[in-house]
Amino acid sequence: MAEAHIVQQGATPAAAGWEPRIIAFLCYWCSYTGADAAGTARLKYPPNVDIIRVMCSGRIDPELITTAFAHGADGVMVCGCHIGDCHYISGNHKTMARMPLLKRTLVDLGIEPDRFVHEWVSAAEGEKFARLVREVTERVRRLGPLGWPQRMRERGVGCGMSLEPWGA
Amino acid sequence: MSEKTDKAGGNGKLKIGMYWAASCGGCDISLLEIGPHILELIEVADVVLWPCAADFKYQDVVNYPDQFIDVCFFNGGVRNSEQEEIARLLRRKSKTLIAYGACATDGGIPALANTKTVEGIFAASYHDCPSLDNPAHVEPQPITQSEYGELEIPRFYPQVLRLSDVVEVDYQIPGCPPQAERVWEAILALVGGQLPARNSAVKVACFDKSVCDECPREKRKVKIKEFKRPHEAMAEAEWCLLEQGFICMGPATRSGCGALCVKANLPCRGCYGPSGEAQDQGAAMIGALGSILDASTEERAREMIDHIVDPVGTFYRFTMASSDLKGRR
Amino acid sequence: MVETPGSCSGSGNEHENGARIGVFICHCGGNISDVVDVKRVADEIGKLRGVVLSTTQMFLCSDPGQGLIEQKIKELGLNRVIVAACSPTLHQLTFRRTVARAGLNQFLFEHVNVREQVSWVTEDAEAATQKATRLIRAAVDRVKHLIPLDKRRISIHPAALVIGGGIAGLVAARDLAQRGMKVTLVEKQPFLGGRVAQLHTLFPTGEDARDALKRVIEEVVSHELVNVITNAQILDSEGVVGDFRTRIRIEPRGANSQLRQRASAVAACPEQTINEFDYGLSQRKAIYMAYPGCYPPIPAIDWNVCTKCGKCLWAVGGRGINLAEQPREMVLHSGIIVLATGFDPYEPLYGEYGYGIFPRVITLQQLIRLLDPLGPTGGRLPRNDGEPTRIAFIHCVGARQIEGVNQRQPDGKVKDYCARTCCTGALHAALEIRRRHPEVMITDFYQDIRTYGRGHETYYEQASEAGILFVRYDPRHPPRVEGNPKGDSPLLVRTSDLLTGGLDVEMPADLVVLATGVVPHDISELVGMYHCAVGSDSFLLEVHPKLRPVELAVAGVFLAGSCQGPMDVTEACAAASAAASKSAALIAQAQVEMDPFIAKVDEELCTGCQTCLTVCPYDAITRDETRGIAVVSEARCTGCGTCAATCPSNAIQQFGFNDAQVLAEVKALLQGAALG
Repeated sequence: MAEAHIVQQGATPAAAGWEPRIIAFLCYWCSYTGADAAGTARLKYPPNVDIIRVMCSGRIDPELITTAFAHGADGVMVCGCHIGDCHYISGNHKTMARMPLLKRTLVDLGIEPDRFVHEWVSAAEGEKFARLVREVTERVRRLGPLGWPQRMRERGVGCGMSLEPWGA
Repeated sequence: MSEKTDKAGGNGKLKIGMYWAASCGGCDISLLEIGPHILELIEVADVVLWPCAADFKYQDVVNYPDQFIDVCFFNGGVRNSEQEEIARLLRRKSKTLIAYGACATDGGIPALANTKTVEGIFAASYHDCPSLDNPAHVEPQPITQSEYGELEIPRFYPQVLRLSDVVEVDYQIPGCPPQAERVWEAILALVGGQLPARNSAVKVACFDKSVCDECPREKRKVKIKEFKRPHEAMAEAEWCLLEQGFICMGPATRSGCGALCVKANLPCRGCYGPSGEAQDQGAAMIGALGSILDASTEERAREMIDHIVDPVGTFYRFTMASSDLKGRR
Repeated sequence: MVETPGSCSGSGNEHENGARIGVFICHCGGNISDVVDVKRVADEIGKLRGVVLSTTQMFLCSDPGQGLIEQKIKELGLNRVIVAACSPTLHQLTFRRTVARAGLNQFLFEHVNVREQVSWVTEDAEAATQKATRLIRAAVDRVKHLIPLDKRRISIHPAALVIGGGIAGLVAARDLAQRGMKVTLVEKQPFLGGRVAQLHTLFPTGEDARDALKRVIEEVVSHELVNVITNAQILDSEGVVGDFRTRIRIEPRGANSQLRQRASAVAACPEQTINEFDYGLSQRKAIYMAYPGCYPPIPAIDWNVCTKCGKCLWAVGGRGINLAEQPREMVLHSGIIVLATGFDPYEPLYGEYGYGIFPRVITLQQLIRLLDPLGPTGGRLPRNDGEPTRIAFIHCVGARQIEGVNQRQPDGKVKDYCARTCCTGALHAALEIRRRHPEVMITDFYQDIRTYGRGHETYYEQASEAGILFVRYDPRHPPRVEGNPKGDSPLLVRTSDLLTGGLDVEMPADLVVLATGVVPHDISELVGMYHCAVGSDSFLLEVHPKLRPVELAVAGVFLAGSCQGPMDVTEACAAASAAASKSAALIAQAQVEMDPFIAKVDEELCTGCQTCLTVCPYDAITRDETRGIAVVSEARCTGCGTCAATCPSNAIQQFGFNDAQVLAEVKALLQGAALG
């Protein structure tokens, strides 16, 4: 069986050409429109953030975020309407409480706070969205790859420490 | 218990085994909890492996032909190389391999150590624990040279794995421990060939619904004002514990236990793992809990959340190894 | 018994193998293709499993572009269509219709945004090409999980309920009735007219406010399709678009149409109270008419003041007054609701610019009452030794406030929005004073003059020409109003004037007029009842300020006038007409179509833990007591998906955004990331 007693801690060293992969969950009415506003104003921001659209930030299930990290996201952003401006009255109130709760849990699991960003972006705040993307990308870049799938595989998840898939 | 002579089989009876890996041993006892049914079980089945209850040697199992064991109940997760080796061996020797109990299905309590590093675990276990006396700072080494020659002990793994991380599993029986009545029903279904098609995702001896389904407490449709821990306040007997502010994992936990803890005025700890179609019990609970806080501002929400002691240990108490993230980075 | 769990992969999986996906990538005439190498993206995407066609086109939204999509759907038997183009906010509906024309369910379509969120924001062409590829790849995986959906259809009861009898409510009711709709107009006060009745003349036309109002009221009350109910309170409301049932309580008026000697009845009343119609500048009786010519032309009794002494009854010989009249309740059935609940003038805090301390500090609303020939002083300004000779106006009181500079309101916020009507209103009033009293010296303390409307700027020009002195103050250092015991005038306004480079100004004043902002009328109960979205300024929030301006997110509820934000009369009437048109169009449709992205409960999986019940912002989830599970009202659900994220068993799924669909997107976007 493989020797796996000592496992390195800390960030995976960044391979050459590594680029942060960040998933952003945006509500349709405010934040997605805000992201569109950044485009309409031709503001430039890094290409590392891939946007997933939901109708309301209240739809953003913590499981979507844990899945994103587990599948190799280096960072996750959650954006919704400002409190008081929710298209669905109070959908974002749930986001407002869920995300800090999730963040506390993720930090306890070793995910640096800067990798999980929760911000309110209105439909008019294209500039804010672009700035946010720049900042988050830069912060995640400084942290280096999170590399969750590789790390868990190294530890035998889904294969055992003999590191052969059990199907083989 | 069966005679050793029966082990070769041939009497037409079912051959069953039970093995104990990284777990507390409660699962072995839980199988006995089926009470007088154990006699009925013996009528139809021979026990061909049960280290906790009868004397079987590793070599006995090695000598069995492949697929010799009809049904093997495997309890406990995989924390070291020996457990992985036996898991693989039992997979080869068993027609049906069942992950039995929370540790085998989801990592269970031992998998909470996945939030710590190996160094941290060793430091706590061999150096820092106040009741220890280890002046030489000895730590177990996989290979030790001694006056008797080279000694080898199993290697300690970087984290606790589920049984299904190591071998293909046919069914899962969740619970810490699984409830005897449900287990007996599952055994009957198994004997009668009524279990669903085998699939490591299939959980048996439990229901798809959540613990709330079996909970007699009343819902008052109020949001949570503040969080309390069971030792901090006396829970009202008839009222939903979650609404009272005790973090009860009931809504996010598969039923089958009969709501044992909540009936004893204690919040559900979540031992049956995620309910319904949820995959990640902690994330499911965070989604639910975060939606029912009585907080109109972000500051108030944070204030309430800061009162939760050990969120990971609370939301992933039994399912760290089967969660999306599996453990700490 | 041992239960058999369902599939763990969510719904829609069964479609995966049969998916025949067509991907259309738009050049947008270069807007996209100048940055994104669309040909290469199309090639990459064409290699994915399930993709039957992957192609590009110059302008997909054009007729040839849409024609291509239609043709390929038919020709290749496509059963999923992806368009990668501009933002879905622009053309999602266009392409859904295209897909539907080709006979495919319109919800088997996915729109990928590669313009606003890729080509326009990405500098590096290679990175943009890769990002576009990732986003489309995610859509390919997502559409495999799509299922055909149908728009919801709900029939509409052909009647409208208008809440609020001010100018906006009246105009909305009139317009609806003129389109042949049955309308009930409900007003909380005993008299119609709202805030406009309290004005003297209207800018920019200068016409008499009550004359204009009277014309609308007559059109409304004389119309056979309109039923006007005054003195009515909304108790509760249930139902959804097409079928609202609103319960109201009608407070007793105390007097009725049989009352002939109306003036005698009022004169006989011994009780006095503050007259809110004159903003506290006068008194009225317990039995009263709000203003001359008000509607209904029947006095009403203010039961908070009336002692039931019976003197009015004696004065009129007992006819037409009933002091024992009881409140009545009734239920109004309507297909749509128009909220025209209006505004209140901002009431300055005690001591704000001396308000409440110095009696000669008044609000613009009070000044307008004073200038009104039918007002408390018959149109005369307050006397001391004579008419005031120095009047100071201060703009932006309770408007455009700055956190940290202005005192917070009781709700903890500052009024940071522009109230929009007070600049023109103040100048309108100032010019009126100038016209009547050319000798009065008027000083106008302002931050910015925002006479923004058509014809409004004229007031500013006229004011400048008429010698009104403008002093521009720094909003971070607003003027101070102090007592001036030694001077001729009782008050002193101090500030530094930005127009003269910060020169300190000390202006004695006989009268200080605060051009106060506006706040929404307190309708917190209605907000809860109709699940209205409310902005951070506390005004009601429309779905989209440009594309759906007078609609609430709750289907079938429309907004008329200043409940939605500060408006002048012109704008309030325009908004009311818009709300009426939209309402009438909806009613005329007879049934309403709604997006199908609603939540659905899996009855097998639902435990009845009831967590979702407190979460729904629209109370669309109820508990089926017999089965012990949650049920979503299709008509009430607006499709936010909050319950889906809440359900700890994932027993609630949102159509169009179910777990399988979104998770497929997440995983597809991260393909390759897992390999580092």
